[in-house]
Amino acid sequence: MTTFQMTKAPKAPEAPQATAPMLRRLVSGARTRAAGVNLLCFAIAAGLFALPLVYVLLQAFKTYTGFLQDPTGTPHPWTTESFSAAWQQGHFGREMVNSLIYAAVPDAITLVLGVFLAFPISRGYFKYSNGLYTFFIFSGFLPGGLIPLFIEARTLHLYNSLIGYLIMTSLSGAGFFFFVGYIKGIPREIDEAAALDGCGYIRFIFTIVMPQMKPALATFGIFGFVHGWNNLILPLVMLSDSALWPVTRGLYSFFGQYSQNWPLIAAGTFIVAAPIMVLFILLQRYLVEGVAGGASFGTQGVAPGASGAGGAETGGGA
Amino acid sequence: MARCPFGTQRTRRFIPWASIAIPGAGWLMFGLYPSLATILYSFTRYSGLPGTPLNYCGMCNYHTAFTSLLPQLWSAVRVTLIYVVGVTVLQNAIGLGLALLLNRSGRSYTFYRALIFMPQIFSVTVVGAVFSLMLDPYSGPAEKVVHSLFGINSAFLGSSSLALLLVMMVNVWMFSGYSMLLYIAGLRNIPRSVYEAAAMDGAGRLRVFRHVTWPLLASATTVNVFLTTMATLGEYALVLVLTGGNFGTKTLGLYMFQAAFGSDSQLGYGSMLAMLQFVLTIVIGGGLLYVLRRREVAL
Repeated sequence: MTTFQMTKAPKAPEAPQATAPMLRRLVSGARTRAAGVNLLCFAIAAGLFALPLVYVLLQAFKTYTGFLQDPTGTPHPWTTESFSAAWQQGHFGREMVNSLIYAAVPDAITLVLGVFLAFPISRGYFKYSNGLYTFFIFSGFLPGGLIPLFIEARTLHLYNSLIGYLIMTSLSGAGFFFFVGYIKGIPREIDEAAALDGCGYIRFIFTIVMPQMKPALATFGIFGFVHGWNNLILPLVMLSDSALWPVTRGLYSFFGQYSQNWPLIAAGTFIVAAPIMVLFILLQRYLVEGVAGGASFGTQGVAPGASGAGGAETGGGA
Repeated sequence: MARCPFGTQRTRRFIPWASIAIPGAGWLMFGLYPSLATILYSFTRYSGLPGTPLNYCGMCNYHTAFTSLLPQLWSAVRVTLIYVVGVTVLQNAIGLGLALLLNRSGRSYTFYRALIFMPQIFSVTVVGAVFSLMLDPYSGPAEKVVHSLFGINSAFLGSSSLALLLVMMVNVWMFSGYSMLLYIAGLRNIPRSVYEAAAMDGAGRLRVFRHVTWPLLASATTVNVFLTTMATLGEYALVLVLTGGNFGTKTLGLYMFQAAFGSDSQLGYGSMLAMLQFVLTIVIGGGLLYVLRRREVAL
């Protein structure tokens, strides 16, 4: 409607002087509407999605007595003592290191192993490459294997051990699915040329294939890290010794232990959330537009247990 | 079958196998084997105590589940179905609404989308702690609002009538940003010319949505509904953190988890529940794909 009138207005010969104010009114009307939509979106994003987090963050700056006196108000004496108290009582320093190991090491290993698994299958070096690929994918729909994984871990002495936990999470072969399709997009001629020049297989994967896969590796690497950091079920099942706990497991216990001291719990919650939040702010574009860009990526990257990689990585989701 | 160009005449046959050896073995051990072994353990009374025998007992677990423990099983299945249907419908409706509203260009919209997407990057422990505080029956803000508006007290997550609904809402809060992004990706795939044609025909907003946007979003809807359903069917970590499965929130997944890793550690019975969960997932997932695909063709 707007465009219709705007194009018609200059053509009206009787009232040429009316054109300019009319146009201005139209434009300003559209502007007000756009501002209204913008405001509505802001209200939804801030009020519904950010507010709970901000509210809890505010609680962390209260003293315990300040919280009891006015549970829902703003902090009266602002204090950061809950953060230091939570940091000490929750052993979050030690758990932060554990979490970093549990998130980074399997992430890096799965990435590399995933490429080594995906490349020959993607290139069709085996007689039944396609069949193998289909089988890999359908195995994701098998029953969740959390219980047998637990029994297996105890038999192999991987239970309640840092190395054991890393072995299980690094070798469950999660990253591979999206790599196969991606590698198909890398021209085969490169392989032939590199091989003719005497490039070895391992060197070829690391110096030629992996640099070509940067976007896929980055997206998978980020989501893999976040997933590893956030996992609660697997540490709950596999790590009984509290010295081995990651932050998520630690917070879960911390939460039960100090159940009414909300400033302390709020502080602990934000200590646990902070690294992921920083990561999110830094890599926001990658994370958000990465999902919007390729739905096929998202299917395995984000929704926990969505297509269920079955074993250790999903913690027996589907 | 393509030939591997790397290595010498002698090594080239083995290079592909060497390449997949470690990840393949790892996947067999920690991916495929546990999944298949669930079937085996579901026929045993294995208790999980080290050194105890497997105690193969045939269909005993299945028999118990469908006779003496049927009320528990039925309750878990019922909760799961309510949970899955509720979350799928709500999350998709909200996700689609947000997508229509936020599919605009500009820096502010990028920022809003990021804010809405953000909750799902947090661990369920973090989200659980945040909402336990928000919904605390003594000192939470929700209690204050409800009390001043309706003059009633509610136990929220401790209330048998409300707990399941609230857990579902938290789940939707956490993941509707993901649905939103998938719908936005779908919206961006609709060619502009279709809208121009609709505008030429003088179609209003509602009619454009009904006859243009909605049918052309069919494949995005398929992906979204299917993924939400599958992810929600297997969900139990969030429920565990928020209510511990009490107050009518014990989903089948949580029932399995608590049977196997609770105080009884009935690994055999838990495996059987994992099998039932698997059957439920296959039936619902397969049925859903069939229906959604047919709908896509029809639209």
